[in-house]
Amino acid sequence: MVERVIAVLALLAAASAFAVWWQRREGRVTRVADPPGAVSSAHLGSPRGFRATFVQFSTSTCAKCPPTAVVLSRVAASEKGVAHVEIDAEARLDLVREFEILRTPTTLILNHEGIVVARISGAPSDAHAREALEAAPPPSTDYSI
Amino acid sequence: MPTNSASAKKDVQIDPRGYRIGAGITATIAIVGLILGSGTAGTIVFAVLTAMFIPGATVGPQATLQSFLFKRLIRPRIGAPRETESFRPPRFAQLIGLICAVLATVFGLAGVTVGFYIFAAFLLGASFLNSVFGFCLGCEMYLLLVRMRAPRAA
Repeated sequence: MVERVIAVLALLAAASAFAVWWQRREGRVTRVADPPGAVSSAHLGSPRGFRATFVQFSTSTCAKCPPTAVVLSRVAASEKGVAHVEIDAEARLDLVREFEILRTPTTLILNHEGIVVARISGAPSDAHAREALEAAPPPSTDYSI
Repeated sequence: MPTNSASAKKDVQIDPRGYRIGAGITATIAIVGLILGSGTAGTIVFAVLTAMFIPGATVGPQATLQSFLFKRLIRPRIGAPRETESFRPPRFAQLIGLICAVLATVFGLAGVTVGFYIFAAFLLGASFLNSVFGFCLGCEMYLLLVRMRAPRAA
């Protein structure tokens, strides 16, 4: 009896430590150093933004996906030329495998050329979303013609 | 800029506070079952949990006994929720819970002590994380399961 009580307490302590560690990583932005090729609007199935695109991968069993969509579309609407595209991961397993998506929500940030420059793992705050956008600055307008 | 929404399909919205309190009730029952151990008493507790998971895994979390208690006893005192959530993620989590409860019960009946403790502990860990931290283990596992199930050549 006493051993089982101790085992239960140890399990709850381990689960708590895991949850705290996990929550600290939630929404973390990672810059992509060695990006694969550009993603076209056709491949995406939705038009890309002129400056940047949030490509959010969601599933129907993901509790944090709808609030993530709210945050990303709000940030996208507040910045010029930024689009938000939500992808049903189950319907687009090709993209899921191509970009090694392991969990939802995961968000890729494409720059003006459609190159993946950053990714957000988990549900971001507005600050996380803006931080990720810094990886995709507005394209230069110094035309030489 | 327009938003293409994959998660805005028509569904039932639930009160997430109710679901978390329900997971807390589940975790409390699982703690009792684990402390009673893999004998008859503990196995009966997990058989009861199995029965409690069935409506949640088939209809959704809004159909569970925990949800009924929340609606009758707690909701009237704390008022309407600030936000609601889709019933689909917790329904999938209830299915994971049901599978664990069934396996713990079967192993308990068969006298396989290790099997009983593994699935009972997994059930407790998942429901505890859900109630205290709002962390949905099933949701995080879902895409990995889909990836494993679907053939690679697509």
